[in-house]
Amino acid sequence: MGTRFDALGAEDARGASRASPAAVLGSRAGAPGREIVLCAEQISKSFAGVKALHNVDFDLRHGEVHALMGENGAGKSTLMKILAGVHTGYDGTVLIEGHTASFSGVRLAEEAGVAIIHQELNLVPELSVADNIFLGREPLIGGVLIDRRRMVSAAKRLLARLGVTIAPETRVAGLRVGEQQLVEIAKALSLNARILIMDEPTSALSSSECDTLFKIVRQLAAEGVAIIYTSHRIEEVLELADRVTVLRDGRQVMTAPIGELSREAIISAMVGREMAANASRKAAQDGAVVLSVQKLTLDTLGPHGWRRTLHGVSFALRRGEILGIGGLLGSGRTEILESIFGVSRGWRDGSIAIDGAAVDINSPTDAYRLGVALVSEDRKERGLHLTASICDNVALPSIGALSRFGLRSFAGERALATDMVERLSVRCAGIGQEVAALSGGNQQKVVIGKWLGTEPRILLLDEPTRGIDIGAKQEIYRLIFNLAAQGLGIIVVTSEMPELLLLSDRILVMCEGRQTGILARENATQETVMRLAAPGMAAWSQGALS
Amino acid sequence: MTALLRLLSRTKLYWGLLLICLIGALTSPYTSSGHNIFLSYGNLTDVLRQVSITGLVATGMTMVILLGGIDLSVGSVMGFSTVICAMLLTKPGWTAASVMGVPAAILVGGAAVALAVRFIFAGLARGRDVSAGRRREIALSRRQSTAIPGLLGLVATIAIGWWTMNQVPTKFGVLGVLLIAPCLAMVLGGVNGLLIVTGRLQPFIATLAMMVSALGIARLTAGSDNAVVPVYTGTNATEAFELLRSMLWGVLPVPSVFFLAAIILFGAILRFTTFGRYAYAIGGNVEAAKLSGIKVAQVQLTAYLLSGLLAGIAGVLFVAQYRQGKPDAGTGLELDAIAAVVIGGTSLMGGRGGLAGTFVGVLIFGLLSDILQLQNIDSNVQLVMKGLIIVCTVLVQEQNLGQLVARWQFRRSGDEHVGPKTAEPHRLPSAAKAQFAREDLDEAS
Repeated sequence: MGTRFDALGAEDARGASRASPAAVLGSRAGAPGREIVLCAEQISKSFAGVKALHNVDFDLRHGEVHALMGENGAGKSTLMKILAGVHTGYDGTVLIEGHTASFSGVRLAEEAGVAIIHQELNLVPELSVADNIFLGREPLIGGVLIDRRRMVSAAKRLLARLGVTIAPETRVAGLRVGEQQLVEIAKALSLNARILIMDEPTSALSSSECDTLFKIVRQLAAEGVAIIYTSHRIEEVLELADRVTVLRDGRQVMTAPIGELSREAIISAMVGREMAANASRKAAQDGAVVLSVQKLTLDTLGPHGWRRTLHGVSFALRRGEILGIGGLLGSGRTEILESIFGVSRGWRDGSIAIDGAAVDINSPTDAYRLGVALVSEDRKERGLHLTASICDNVALPSIGALSRFGLRSFAGERALATDMVERLSVRCAGIGQEVAALSGGNQQKVVIGKWLGTEPRILLLDEPTRGIDIGAKQEIYRLIFNLAAQGLGIIVVTSEMPELLLLSDRILVMCEGRQTGILARENATQETVMRLAAPGMAAWSQGALS
Repeated sequence: MTALLRLLSRTKLYWGLLLICLIGALTSPYTSSGHNIFLSYGNLTDVLRQVSITGLVATGMTMVILLGGIDLSVGSVMGFSTVICAMLLTKPGWTAASVMGVPAAILVGGAAVALAVRFIFAGLARGRDVSAGRRREIALSRRQSTAIPGLLGLVATIAIGWWTMNQVPTKFGVLGVLLIAPCLAMVLGGVNGLLIVTGRLQPFIATLAMMVSALGIARLTAGSDNAVVPVYTGTNATEAFELLRSMLWGVLPVPSVFFLAAIILFGAILRFTTFGRYAYAIGGNVEAAKLSGIKVAQVQLTAYLLSGLLAGIAGVLFVAQYRQGKPDAGTGLELDAIAAVVIGGTSLMGGRGGLAGTFVGVLIFGLLSDILQLQNIDSNVQLVMKGLIIVCTVLVQEQNLGQLVARWQFRRSGDEHVGPKTAEPHRLPSAAKAQFAREDLDEAS
């Protein structure tokens, strides 16, 4: 334990107490941007049979900022987590300064000089800045008592090195997000991190906070820290990065120095080729409007106070139509569905009409009565009772309607479940099987079946193919088309661009809680959607058009 | 073979019960005429009689725990109920007990009748609908659906009011106490439920507060210094009250009739009614249940009301059994009830278990103390044994033992391919379950 703390003393006599790799680093100080500090070869990783990374090669040089880009689900997070030792059990090799590194945990990665700053910060809000920086590695007096003075002064030195004026004694809960981010960086520095991985560090920052962060990132790079940086904001990457690697569907598409790249090149690398349009399906444009949403606004209480998550979203959904909602994570897509279903937390404003009549949906019970169904994003946490049988799960929303005098109709429930299992071709041993034993795709079908049993007219699907394999995806797509053909109005939220383009008759694009446009199928391409979805890109695309 | 093993494993609780019976029979002393005391009819019905009070409380507790909650207040609520019952039996006029009890009975009785009527009408309407082929709800018109049950509820209120008021100047009879004490206990259960459902308090905290304050209320109600209210049937109370400690048709002790009836009734409710299914669904995954349109708050409130009700009935039986009402009658009862529920295989996380298990759990406890008493073993040893039984049965129940053994074998063999046989997904504790889900979704971020 004691040796881990040497990092603190190292601030005074820099480098003296560092382990041997650090000495190597010192010798390279004269030639920044040349030596490869991290080299990942042929990395593959799958989750529950779904391939998240496919033979990815990645290298990182001394003192460079290497941006990692890709759509949601492209595999960025997985790659970063492998490098930081969060995910173990992958194929391929990771070399750090020429030595094979196989971290069996975050601690070991940290000891090798790799630190990660997650998108959701990992700080203890009730502890002070200094406490957080040295959490688990506190300097001790006689091996027992925490040496507060040494800890605070070391924290002060680290913060000073970053050029920020945060008092080490401040409680973290009292800091703004940007400042908390800086505390995380200080923590990484205290670990003597020579490789710093930053996952969407600017996603929650204001623009002035971003500027501070960029300055510090550049400064760290100049000091020889190699930085892996991800962001959805292309502008930011162009400004900050030395090189860019683009991932798509778990494969590495491109690695190039920033000088050779333009915005367009990055976007087209991220989105890839045009998907073959789904010609077999005719968009229903003439159905009656089943759902109309006007000026939907939602204010939610987040960790940093009240925030407007939806800014006046308006759209209409017709019978037999599939409306796709596109946008980045956190752009308010899920919130739209939850608001319609009556489960959003916070203050909701605006009007919702079903079949032309204004309705007030405040609970799933209301939604159910009006024929609205939501298949939520997280099927295990919010969709299924895992230890119950398929029959019990499918029947759950309908057993009230199937019962009389409060007595369940077992025959009715079984008939419903059997019907759904057949209609959705759920592969199972029987309707009595526990859903925990089913594959992801079949579980998803059970969740959809559960709601189809209530005979909804409006079906809201949130990430319907998340975490399921290609074959099952195709089946879900076919199912969605069938349901639309039967006259349901369907709204699909998905992070996967090809899926969005394939399924949707129209695409509503969200960006940071604002509706940035509704694209008809003819006009929707990956580029047009991406332009509307990426923060800062809307302005750019307008500029490009004018 | 594996099918047989699975059957054995599924019914292991009953095997445990059988084992205890066997031990009891083998170790039992014999009467002078050579009869096995443990197996004698008198002894076995005595065991049933003794477990009835805990059993009733455990029945309510099972429902609460299935929902993922806990009710720590049942012991105090039962104590309160004994005080109310004893005072109603022995003290005429407007005492603290009748001042609280009569309005509570009027309120709860009226509401219960109104809700029952409404429920029946809803069922009738639904029935017509089902026969028509579709199952959308067509109820009474809005005005009718409030007016008819409301009116009948009012009638019930007046009837109960008239009937109870008439008994106040004299003393209450058996039916009177059987109505009033459980109604008052139900009010306390309702307070628990409201605190949890609308106040969003943790069940542990809300019922802990009720546990403390119900004891206080009971002491205040009893009033006197030692706070014990003696009940001598035939002298200071009605002779008829003796009924509640007699044998029904000379076959079964009356308290155990209440217990068995509760087990069967609520077992059927859990199995055959939508309420039961909702309880399991909420305990299994409250988020999913909420999104499925289940009125979670209503189900939770009902469970706490029932738990209070059963504790109230247990209180009346206690008075009959021990001829006294005292505020601390139920001290520690809540823990006995929880232990019985847990031994019965109901998961404290909710969503898994049932009343059959609780019944066996209660019996295991009862038989165990009977065996030890027959052996004249110190009652403190009994406590230690109880603790051991809890730990052992839960180890077996949760298959933790199997997991430990498997891990040990795995360690010893050092073979990569002999995995610890832990990961039957449905046996994962919820934390691991969450992890499982997150890992699975990770690749999408």
